Amino acid sequence: MHTLANIVRRVGQRFLSSIPALLGVVVVTFVLMRVMPGDPAVFFASGPNAGPQEVAEIRHQMGLDRPLPVQLALYLKDVATGNLGHSLSTGQQVSKDMAQRLPASLELTFTALFLALSLAIPLGMAAAINPGSPIDHFVRMLCTLGVCVPTFVSGLILIYVFYYLAGWAPDPTARIDIFAATPPEITGFYLIDFAMTRQWDGFQAALAQLILPASTMALFVLAPLARMTRASMLAVLGSDFIRTAHSMGLPRARIIVAYALRNALLPVLTITGIVFSTMLGANVLVEKVFSWPGVASYALDALLSADYAPVQAFVLLMASIFVGVNVVIDILYGIADPRVSVE
Amino acid sequence: MTATRRSILQAAAGLAVLPGAALSQTRAETLRYVTGNTINTLDCTVLGSTRESFGLCMNIHDRLFKFGRKPVGDHFTFDATEITGELAAGHETTPDGMKITIRLRPDATWHDGTKVTAEDIKWSLDRIVSAKSLGPSQFQLGSMTSADQFKITGDHTIEITLPAPDKLALANLCVPYAQMFNSKLVKPHVTAEDPWGLEWTKLNTAGSGAYIVESFKPNESVILRRNDNWKFGKLPQFKRIIIQTVPEPSTRANLIEKGDADLCIDLAASDVPTVAKNGKAKVVSMPQTNGFTMLAMNTKMAPFDNVKVRQAVAAALPYEDMFQAALFGRGNKLFGADWTAAPNGTFPQAMPFKTDIAKAKQLLTEAGFPEGFKTTFAFSAGQAATAEPMAALLKEGLGKVGIQVDIQKKADAEFQTMEANKTLTFFADQPTAWLPFTDYFFRLYFTRDQRWNFSGWANKDMEDISVKARFELDPAKYEQQSKQMIDLYTANVPLITIWQPNHDAAMAKNIEGYTYQFYRLVDFRLLERT
Repeated sequence: MHTLANIVRRVGQRFLSSIPALLGVVVVTFVLMRVMPGDPAVFFASGPNAGPQEVAEIRHQMGLDRPLPVQLALYLKDVATGNLGHSLSTGQQVSKDMAQRLPASLELTFTALFLALSLAIPLGMAAAINPGSPIDHFVRMLCTLGVCVPTFVSGLILIYVFYYLAGWAPDPTARIDIFAATPPEITGFYLIDFAMTRQWDGFQAALAQLILPASTMALFVLAPLARMTRASMLAVLGSDFIRTAHSMGLPRARIIVAYALRNALLPVLTITGIVFSTMLGANVLVEKVFSWPGVASYALDALLSADYAPVQAFVLLMASIFVGVNVVIDILYGIADPRVSVE
Repeated sequence: MTATRRSILQAAAGLAVLPGAALSQTRAETLRYVTGNTINTLDCTVLGSTRESFGLCMNIHDRLFKFGRKPVGDHFTFDATEITGELAAGHETTPDGMKITIRLRPDATWHDGTKVTAEDIKWSLDRIVSAKSLGPSQFQLGSMTSADQFKITGDHTIEITLPAPDKLALANLCVPYAQMFNSKLVKPHVTAEDPWGLEWTKLNTAGSGAYIVESFKPNESVILRRNDNWKFGKLPQFKRIIIQTVPEPSTRANLIEKGDADLCIDLAASDVPTVAKNGKAKVVSMPQTNGFTMLAMNTKMAPFDNVKVRQAVAAALPYEDMFQAALFGRGNKLFGADWTAAPNGTFPQAMPFKTDIAKAKQLLTEAGFPEGFKTTFAFSAGQAATAEPMAALLKEGLGKVGIQVDIQKKADAEFQTMEANKTLTFFADQPTAWLPFTDYFFRLYFTRDQRWNFSGWANKDMEDISVKARFELDPAKYEQQSKQMIDLYTANVPLITIWQPNHDAAMAKNIEGYTYQFYRLVDFRLLERT
C-alpha cells in the first residue's frame, strides 16, 4: 500500500514538473513554424487562378493577419481548452485527425516494439552468455545490419520479396485491405477492435497488414535493445552475487533468468522508453512506404505544406507522450528493482 | 494465397457497404485507383482543396455543360471545342455573343430523387461567383462576376448576360468548379459567416453526379458507388470506385503490376518504361497538350531584364539532352522548330529554340556580359524527379557560355511563396490551363501584374492583343492575333517553354476508354473493363 501511494505521488510530481517543459515546446514550435520560409496562405491558394483575394482570405481564416503575440495568446488559449486548431491540408479539426491517426501509429509502434523486444532480449542474453562465440558475432552482425539499412530501404525490400515476388503478404497499403471491412470504432486499435467483436477474419487481415511494417521498424531498433541487453547482462554476470549463486549450486537457468536478467533489465527499460518515443515520431518513412495512416506521415505532409496547426499539435503530442512514457518507465523500474522506487 | 485472400476480401467487401445493392458488386465491377496525392474535401471549390479533389468532383457532381472527347490511337483526349449539355439539355447564344440561354432537362433529378429546378441552378451559379471560394477567380475568366448576370426566365430556362462576347463563358461552365448543387439540401446548413454552406459541402454532397460518395476518409481514401439513375451521359460500367492514397511510387507500380490496383496516373517517370516493358499492365501515354514545362526568367531583375541575356540563355540550353534526362524522351518537344514567324495560332507549339553556343556567346557579349554572370536556378521539391536531372544539364550547358548557375531545390510552400512574390530569378515550373485557348494562355501566363505571369513580363502590345483576342468573334482575325502573340513571345523570350510531359496512365490490360481530361485526372465515368 505504501509503495502504491509512493508511485502515485511520484507520478503526480512528474506530471506537474513537466508542464513548464510542455509550455516551452508549444511556444518554440509556434515560433519556429512562423519563421520557416513559405507562406501557407499562398500554398493553399495555389489553384490555377487563385489571386491576392484568395490568399488574403486564407490568411484571415488561419488568423495570420493578426500580430504574432496575439496569435500566440489565442493559440495558447485554444490549446488550454483542448482545441488544437484546424488543418488546411485535410480540412478537418486537428484533434479529430489525431484521434484517428494516433491509434494507427501506436498499434504499429507497440507491435514493432514487442517484436523487437522478443527478439532482442533473447539474442542479447545469448550473446552475453557466450561472449566472443559465433552466436555473439551473429547477433552483432544482425544488429549492425539492422541499423545500417535505412527503414525505407528495408521496407521496400520486404515489400518486394514478400508481396511482389512471393505474394505472401497482402498489398502494403494502409491498415487493412481496402476491399475489407474496417472494425467498429472502439479503441482505434484494429487488432483489439476485431478481437473484441470476435471478427477473426478481420483480425487476421489486420495482422497480416501489420507484420511487414512492424518488422521493418523492429529491425531498425533491434540494435540498441540487443546491444544494451548484452552489455548489461555481461556486467551482471560478472558480479559477486552471480558467482555466489553458482557456488551455491543453483540451476543455471534460474541464475540467468531470475537473478541476472532481472538485474540487467534496468538499462534495457530506459533504452526501451527512449526507443519507443523515437519510433513513434521517427517512423514517418515506414508510414510513407506502407501508406500507413499514422501521425508521423500526417505531420510531415503538414510540414511540407506549411500547415501550422497539425505540426504544432504533433510536436505537443510527442512531447506529452515522451513525458508519459518516462513516467511509465519509472513505475516499471520500481517493479523490476524495488530499491529504485524508494528514491 | 492470393486467390483465397481475394475471395475472403470480396465477401468482406460486400459486408463493408450498404446491404442490398452492394452484394452484387464483384471485383470486376470495382475499379481501384491508386494515387500519390490526397483528397481533402468533397467540394473542390473550397480554398485549400487539393488538385486530386477536382477529379473527384467531376465524378460526383454534374456541371451544366461538358467537353467532348476525340480519339488518340486506342484512347481519347478531351475536346474543348465540342461543348454539349450535361445537366443542361442545350443552349442558345445570341449572335452578338452577349446572352446565353440555357435549357434545363425537365426530368433531371438530384441524388435524393428530387427534381432539379431552375432555382437550384441559379443558386449554384450565384454561389460560384459570390462565395469565398476558388469559383470567382475562375468565372471572371469567362466574364461572369456577379449574381445579377444569372436570371431565371422560365421553369426550365436560365439566362446568362455577359458584359462582352466572351468565348470562354460557356467553357467555364464545364470546369470542375462549375458544379451544380441541390440547394434545398445545402441551405439548412448555411450560417452568417458561411452563407454558401462551404463548411457543410466539404464533407457532404448534394449533387446529381454519376457516382455517389459511400465513404470519405480525408487524405486516405474515397469509395464511390454508381448512381444507377444517372441520365446525363452513358451509364458508367464500373459500379464501384475505390480511390486510395498510396504515397510510395514504387508501391503504386507494384500494385499495378500485381493486378491489385487497376489504374494509376502518377507513377515515377523512371517506373513507366519498366511497367510498359514488363507487360503485366499497359501504359497509355499522351502529351499534356494543355500545359507546358517552362523556365522563367524574372524580367524585373538584372540581368534577365535584358532581352539579349534571355535570348542567350535560350540559345545555350542543351534542349535534347535535358528532354532525354528529365522525361526519358516521354513527351512533346516544344523546342527545335525552324520557323521565324509563327506558322499558325496554336499555342503551345514547338518554338524555334535551338542550342547554338556561338550565338549565345555573341548575344551575351552584346548584352555586356562577355564573361557571363552568376545566377541561381530554383525548382520545387515536388517536381524534383524531373527538374533535378534537367537542372544539372542546364547548369552544365549554361556553364559553357560562362553563366554560373547555383541550383536551389526549395520546399513546395517556400517555392510557391517566392514565385508568387516574384522573388525568384530563374526557375522551372509546369503550369497547365484548363481552357486551352491561345489567348487564355497568353493572358494568364504573359500579361498583367499577377501571380501566374511567372517572369513578371510587361509588354504593352501583348496586353492589348490578348484583350482584343479574348472578345474576337471572327476566327480569321483571332488566328492572326494568336500568331502576333506567339511572335511577340518568340522575340522577347520572357520564359522558355521547353516541353509537354506525357500524361502516363498505367492500368490493367482490360481497361478501355481512358480519356485524358483537361484537369489531368481520371474520368471514371468513361472507363470500362472488357
